[in-house]
Order: sequence, then C-alpha cells, then structure tokens
Amino acid sequence: MKPEKINRIALVLLSAAALGLPLVVRSATYLHILVLLYFYAYLTTCWNLVGGFAGVLPLGHAAFVGIGAYTSTILSLQYGVSPWLGMIVGGLLAAGVGILIGLPTFKLRGAYFALATIAFSEGLRVMVENIDRLGPFTINGPRGLQIPPLDTGLTNFMFAGKEPYYYSILVMLAGVLFLTYRISRSKLGYALNAGGEEPEAAMALGIDVARTKLIAMALSSFLTALAGTFYAQFTLYIHPKSIISLDLSFEIAFIALIGGRGSIAGPVLGALLLRPVSDFSRIYFGDTLPGMHLIIFGVVLILVMNFQPRGLQEPLTRLYQKVVNRLFHWGALEAAR
Amino acid sequence: MSFLEVKNIDVFYDDVQVIFDLSLTVREGEVVSIIGGNGAGKSTLLRTLSGLMQAASGEILFEGRGIQAAPPEEIVERGIVHVPEGRRLFTLMTVRDNLEVGAYNRRAAPHLHRTLEEVYTLLPRLAERQAQIAMTLSGGEQQMVAIGRGLMAKPKLLLLDEPSLGLAPILIKSIFETVRKIADQGTTVLLVEQDVHHSLSLSDRGYVLEHGRIVMEGPAGELLADPHIKSAYLGI
Repeated sequence: MKPEKINRIALVLLSAAALGLPLVVRSATYLHILVLLYFYAYLTTCWNLVGGFAGVLPLGHAAFVGIGAYTSTILSLQYGVSPWLGMIVGGLLAAGVGILIGLPTFKLRGAYFALATIAFSEGLRVMVENIDRLGPFTINGPRGLQIPPLDTGLTNFMFAGKEPYYYSILVMLAGVLFLTYRISRSKLGYALNAGGEEPEAAMALGIDVARTKLIAMALSSFLTALAGTFYAQFTLYIHPKSIISLDLSFEIAFIALIGGRGSIAGPVLGALLLRPVSDFSRIYFGDTLPGMHLIIFGVVLILVMNFQPRGLQEPLTRLYQKVVNRLFHWGALEAAR
Repeated sequence: MSFLEVKNIDVFYDDVQVIFDLSLTVREGEVVSIIGGNGAGKSTLLRTLSGLMQAASGEILFEGRGIQAAPPEEIVERGIVHVPEGRRLFTLMTVRDNLEVGAYNRRAAPHLHRTLEEVYTLLPRLAERQAQIAMTLSGGEQQMVAIGRGLMAKPKLLLLDEPSLGLAPILIKSIFETVRKIADQGTTVLLVEQDVHHSLSLSDRGYVLEHGRIVMEGPAGELLADPHIKSAYLGI
C-alpha cells in the first residue's frame, strides 16, 4: 500500500468517525461540547490564514465573530431576513472591516500589530455595550439580543436538536480546512508565507506583501463572521461579553499556538486538546475558580513553546508518518512474498 | 540609451541623508562593482534601485524608462531583481519552494520549470538539496539558494548585495565564480561588495562609494591598481 493511499484511507476513516459520532454520543451535553470544539477548530483555522500563514499575531478575531453574529441576528429579528443570507452579509461586512483594520496595522511589527487588534476588538465591544439603537437597528447594549426559538427548520437555520448544528459546523469546518489546504499550495499561500517570514526578500522578488496580507485578512474575517452567525443560531442568545470578548480572541490564539500555527492540522489538534480542558474546567471549577482554563492554557503554552516551538502538530505528524512508513514497509514486504 | 542610468539621486532615512547626488550607469552585459566600507550607502543604493526605498530627488532610468517612483513588484517585472544582504531565505520552506517563490512575478512564472532546470545546472548542489529545509543548509549553500532564488525571477539586471558576507574564503571563491558564470550567460550584474579584490577582479567597471558619494570610478583593472584603493581597501 502506498503512503498516499494510507493517507486517503485515514482521511476517509476520520470523516466517517466524525459523521457517525452523533449516533454514539447521545447526550446533549457532550454533543454541545463537540459542537463548540468544531466551532473553535473552525475559528482557529480562519485565524490561521492571517496568524499562521501571514506571520502576524492578530488578537482581536472576536470582533469578526461579533460582526457576523450581530448582523445576521439583527437582519433576521427586525427584517425577517433568513440567517443564511444574513450570514453572507455579515461576512462581507466583516471582510470590509478586516481590510480597514489591516490597512494601517499591517505596517506595524510583532507586538504592535497584536495590540492594535486587541484595541480594535475591545473598542467594538465597549461600543456595542453602550449603544441601544444605531439608526434603525436595535442593538440592546449589554443586554444583547435573543432569538425566539419559534420556527425551527433549515431555512431559518434553527433546529430543535443538537445534531443538525453538529452537522452544520462539521460541514463548515471541513469546507474551511479544504480551502486552507488549497490556499497553502497556491501562489497566494507561498506569497503569504514568504512575506510573513522575510518581508523584504519577498518584496524584492516582486511580491506585494501588503496586498497578500490584506487578501488573507479579508478572507479570514469573512469566514470568521460566518461562525458568528452559527454561534448566534446555536445559542439563540448573543451579548457583547459572550461574543466580542477578549477571552474568545485569546482562546483562538492559544489553540493555534499550542496546536501549531501555519499548519493545517494544528488548529484542529489544538481544539481537540484544549476545548475539553476548557469545558471540563468550567464544569468543575466554574463557580470556584472561573477562568481556570486560561491559566491551564497559559501553562501548557509555556511548556509547548519551550519544547515544541512549532506546536504539537509537529511531533504528532512525525509520529503519524512513522506509523504510515511502518505500514508501507510491511505492505511492501507482504507484496514481495 | 543606457541600460541602467542613475541621475543625481538623494536618499534619506527619515531626516538622515545617506546618499548624496549620486549618478552611475550600467551598460547591458556588464558586471559593475560598487565598493565601499560599512555605512557608505551601498545597500541603500540597491534598495533604492529595487524600489524598497524611494529616492527623494533624482531619476532612475531602466531601459530608458523612469522607475524611481515604481513599487518593487513593478520593478521586478521590468527585470531588476535584488538579492538582499544576509541571504534572507524563507527558512522553513524547502530549497525547491524557496526557488519557486523566486518565480513569483508574472514575467517569470510561466517559465518556472525551465528556469528551475537552468538554476540546477548552474548550481548543482541545490538540485541535491532540493527537498531539504532551507534552515538546515550551510552558509555557503544558503547563499547559493539566495542567488538561485533571484535568478528564478528571470532578471535582466541582477543586484547582488554582499554575496560573500560571512563565508569561508573557499566558499567566497566559488560564489564569485558563480557570479561570473551568471554574467557570462548574459545577465547584467550590479555587485555590492566589501571584498574589493574579488569583486573588482571579476568586474568590468567599478564605483567607489564613500559616505554616500561616488568618489572614484573607472575600469576595474585601473581601480585595482589605484594607490588610494590599495591602501584604503586592500591594505597593501
């Protein structure tokens, strides 16, 4: 058996397992945890387009989640627009905002870029918290917006059980992973990588580094906003602290850094590892030690950065390749016999 | 019409002027050296030619057209390719990927495979190492990748910034031999160097840059024999 074939079989098995999981996991709590796991894997994969490939450290991606969630929710509550359509509108709005943020900030280096994105997303949260009405739109300040669970069904992106949400976010995650895979092997992917590591050398080769970063930012914020709509439809209640919070932005970055930024598997591995920590620490320490998960993440991050600076995907990929090679050799031996 | 003609440029880093009223010409097919000590403005001059910096005044003509205000990507498409000082490889990419990124511009991209073959013929070591991560190469090999990456962009004029920097003498020799081969195959080379002896030996002409001004120019052989250059740069 050839290694590529083994890879393909592994991918098929993994997809089958993900598709079949709700048949085994019947508990709504565990399904909820899984949905959030995919949600974070999705967000981190979107973040990775900028934070991984373009080599900067955005720490305000919650702003785009918020823009997506608020846009589609306001449109559906006040104008009866289907959340699917609102999702696209929110995405486009977020892409525009992403470009506006990117234009002045991509010139900033390292920590300054990170600080600028924090400032923007915190600014947006404070604004939303203090605005009750913006022109014709009701925003409701800190009280947030509630979506009455009336008409369930696919057109309304609203379901009675958790399973449809599970499959929705699974499809979104698969889509964004495929997109990332294609981009990483495209001209844009190479240009992003090159510009992220050695901007001057990249420019000297004719790469318009600022433009490629802006394209990545627009794409990343568009896709991130789609997840915002998903979250609003999943929880049916959004408020600034839940959706435009620094906690959310930081958790995305934690997952990316620990899983391995700039790789395709990294965000998924990171979410797989960290989300259960986050959920169970909330279940067990929620009332006594709130925020415990962020402390644990911090410790894990320090350890990972010390021993595996390129994230946990690196040793795990190596391990996987070793297993595949073993299988391959074994297969070759069998064939020879 | 000269190939490259720089007319009276002044270049500043913010308020600090680094290049003063500098003029030079490069004819097609030549190898021209710019020599000078640290801080003379050599790298700044190359950065200005490739559009990474803008001259505050003056004119830069390439094949008769002004490029002093063009962005770097346009200058690369016109055919000026800058191999920056200190190699600046994409360290986590393989050697091959580094080379392929070199062919990013629209003029070079369609010829990627053929150019890659040519680069591998010129620098066979890179063919052996093509699957290796650039970070794991030796300094000399990294410089080869940097030059190869520049060639992938199909330059008409190659700007080389201190290719010998930090290399052992035996490697310096082979780098300069490579530069000579590149020139012999028809690419015009503008070479910035501190290794005056080697660079002038392979050049047709040279300019001496001191404190941002050209203080001397002429055929390379004459410069090598000049008493000022002998005492200031060659230590003889």
